[in-house]
Formats: sequence, C-alpha cells, structure tokens
Amino acid sequence: MSSSSRQTREGWSRIAAWRSQHRSAATSSWQKLIARPVATGMVWLVVAISLALPGAMLLTLDNLRPLIPDLERPAQVSVMLDGELDLEQAEALQRELGTWDTVEDVTLVRRDEALVVFGEQTGLSGLLTSLDHNPLPHALLVSPTAPRTNTALSQLVKAIDGLSGVDRVIVDSQWMSRLDQALLATERWGLALGAAMVLGAILALANTLHFAIDARREEILVVRVIGGSPGFIRRPFLYTGLYFGAGGGVLAGLMLWVLSLWIAGPVNALFALYGSPGQIQSPGVGYPSALIALGAGLGWLTSWTASARYFSRLDAS
Amino acid sequence: MIEFERVSRRFGDQDALRNLSLTIEQGEMAFLTGHSGAGKSTLLRLLLLLDRPSSGDIRVNGEPTSKIRSRMVPRYRRRFGVVFQDHRLLFDRSVHDNVALPLVMAGFSPTDTARRVRAALDKVGLLYHEQANPAVLSGGEQQRVGIARAVVARPEFLIADEPTGNLDPQLSSEIMSLFEAFNQVGVTVLVATHDLPLISRLRHRIITLHEGRLAGVRAQ
Repeated sequence: MSSSSRQTREGWSRIAAWRSQHRSAATSSWQKLIARPVATGMVWLVVAISLALPGAMLLTLDNLRPLIPDLERPAQVSVMLDGELDLEQAEALQRELGTWDTVEDVTLVRRDEALVVFGEQTGLSGLLTSLDHNPLPHALLVSPTAPRTNTALSQLVKAIDGLSGVDRVIVDSQWMSRLDQALLATERWGLALGAAMVLGAILALANTLHFAIDARREEILVVRVIGGSPGFIRRPFLYTGLYFGAGGGVLAGLMLWVLSLWIAGPVNALFALYGSPGQIQSPGVGYPSALIALGAGLGWLTSWTASARYFSRLDAS
Repeated sequence: MIEFERVSRRFGDQDALRNLSLTIEQGEMAFLTGHSGAGKSTLLRLLLLLDRPSSGDIRVNGEPTSKIRSRMVPRYRRRFGVVFQDHRLLFDRSVHDNVALPLVMAGFSPTDTARRVRAALDKVGLLYHEQANPAVLSGGEQQRVGIARAVVARPEFLIADEPTGNLDPQLSSEIMSLFEAFNQVGVTVLVATHDLPLISRLRHRIITLHEGRLAGVRAQ
C-alpha cells in the first residue's frame, strides 16, 4: 500500500517536473524573444510573407473553384445530321433525343437558318444565294444534363453517334483540354512557388535559430558537462522555433484577411458584371489556423534540426 | 571509487594519456597535478565522458564507463559535481538560478530546489547574494557560486579543474578548505591544479602526471 502510493507520487512528480521544465523553457524563450522586439518582428515578417504568398494563391484557387464547373465542360454538343435527311426526320431525331435522361435540351438548327446565319457571319450571303442547293445539313444542338463530367459526355457523344442519320458529333474538346492544361500549369506554378517560399522560410528560420543557439553556447556547454540531457538543452530552442513559426503564421493569417478585405470590392463587382452570384470567399478561420499550425510545425522542426546539427558539431569539436 | 585501467588517449600522433592506471578511493580527496599538457584536462574529460579513451577503460564504483550508452551519459554525469577554472556561471540569471540549474535538470520541485539552493549557498557563505547577478560578484565569490552549483545536487564525486587558477593565495586557500569540508561529509574529491605550494601544505594524496604518464604519487 505504502509502496504503491509512493510509486504514484513519484510518477506524478516526474510528470510535474517535466511540466515545470517545459513551463520554464517556454517562459524564458518568450522573454528572450520579446527582449529583442525588432529582431523578432523581422523574423515574424519573413515567415509571414513566405507563408502568406502561397496562402493567398490557395485562397485564389479556392475562389475560382466554384466558377470552374460552369466553364469546365462545354454546355453543348453539336450534332451534324446526314445531308439527305429531311426536316421531318430531323425533327423525329430531336424528339427522340429529348426523351433521353442524359439530355437536358435539344435545339434544331434548320439548314436554311444555318445558311442565313453563316452568310451573315461570313459576309458571303450574296455568294451563297447563288448556289443552286444548300450544302449545309440540318443540325441539332444538344445540352447534356449536369453533371457534365468527361465520361458522361463521351458516353453521350458515343450514343448520339450511333444513331442513324447522324453524320458527326462535334464537341469542342480542344478548348476543354486547353483550359485543363492551363489550370494544371497554374496549379503547378503555384505549388512550385509555394514550395520555394516555404523553403525560404525554413532557411531564414534555420539561420536565425542557429544564431539563437550559438548565442547560448556557453550555457549549452555548461549544462552538458553537469548532466543536462539533450532534451533539456534543446527545449528552450524548440520553444523559440515554435514562437518564431507560430508568430509568423499569425501575421500571415492577418495579411490574408487584410488582402481579401482589400480586394473584395473590385472582385465582387467583377463577379456581378459577369452575372455570377458569387462573392469573394474570406480566409475564414480555416486559413489562419492552417497557417499558424504550419508555421508552428515548421518552426519546431527547423529548430529541432538546427539544434541537432549544432550539437553534433559541438560534439565533433 | 574511480579506477583508470591502462587508459590511453591519442590525438593524431600525439599521446595525451599513455597507459595510465590509477585509483581514487571512495571518500578520498586527491590532487592531480603536472605541467600544462601533462594530461590533467584529458583525464577529467575522459572521466566525465566528454571524450572516450583510445584504449583502456575507466570504472566508476566498479562499473565500466565504456558500457554506458550515450543516452545514459547525462544521468552518469549528474553523479559528479564539476567546478571549472573560470567558474562558467551564466550571467543572464541570478545566483540562485545558477545554483539551481542541476536541480531543475534533475526535476526537483520548486520548494525542494529553493531549500537546497539556500543550503548550498549558505555552505559557501553567499546566502545574502542569492538574488544578485553573478556578474557583480568578485572572482572568489563567483568561484564559490560555482562550487555551490557543483554540490547542490549532493553528487558522489566532486571534480575541479584548476579551481584556484585565477585567485590569490588567501582565496585559493579558502576554496580548498571548502573542498575539504565537502570531503569530510563523504564526497570523493579530485582537484586538478598546479598550485603546488598550496596543495603541498594539505594532507592529501598528490598524483603527478608528466607527458600523459603517471610520474609520481605523494601519499597522504
């Protein structure tokens, strides 16, 4: 009984000791940071800019994403009918397609209408009226039902192509691929830029932390000789890294908020001009939280690495 | 008990210690002397596992230090109190916090820490400077703070490397008396020094090194 209660007490006191060591490392590191406000502010700013830029890019993509489904897939499939098909047969095809689940709407473009439009658009009306017969076929403009995914679209195209009386089905897929590639390129460019900026933040942090560690070289040497564990020696620097990173994250979150408030006016006006009901999406709580977590994580890890490097070089010397 | 068994340490083609065998008994106080470069510092560094021998082994209370894995080294070092020539106090904190460092490291509670720090400072006669910054103290006082830090966690062994190197004879003598006082309560004390006039007056074993070898032992 007494031995078990002693065990509990020792177990507790070990946890209490560990907590008190953490508390004192956390406090002393914080005091050292705020004792040099300009230097600390500059580190925060460097980290903030490096995180805010990729953050702003992601936020932009997030804002574009709801607009993309409308643009992403062509709204219409053009179906060219066989030249010898007469109007009644074309109308029968229109009615048939209209009953399909995958088809939202079908418009018939009669060959004489098409000729007039073509003549007007090309300025060749005079020439066209001189032709003894209309070379254009009847055509159907088919609007697929949503969602207009690639597979759904290609299945629809195949089904229409299989109908008798259909000459060709035209989907402006080149335009689609162009957009896809452009989006992919933008995304990769954003990722590369983001990675470079984050790498820059890591390097800036590593450099600053190296000097912070080096400034306490004497303390490290003494504590090592009198039996301080690597964890004990490293702890204040981990907190320094954490504060640098998390502080940068807070500032980056603020920057993102200010930026989105600043551009909200013109962007919302732009949405309105395009007849979109969209409103600019604010960074909310998610973005700042993610930036703070990312900054804190980077700071902690960088500090871990920087101190490990410093200590191993100390061992070697 | 500390035993050096045929310990050598080479740095490139230089021998810092050559085939040294030596025993410090439990509860003994001994002086380690010799010219600079004789191997005193190397011996202390090997004992604190700040360095490892090229050959041979060091046993502490019968336990070979070569068997101690690096993860356990900090715990091993806490069995020693270390006094440095230049005391190596940290000037960014008070005398109290300097002395408390080994206790904080070992995880003592704040009340226990405060009590032990005051006891240690009392022993070296500096209790009234507890809250001072060590930078404002004299050299002798700083060294006594260093000694308080070395003994505060009640180590088995007290190791000192030229503890009186920067002090005048009067202060040096006071420092040695402090070491003797700790030795009298059972701490094994090893002091590296070249202050021969001082230690020859004291009745303790003197171990002399010369070019990394044991050159002589003056019995107690």
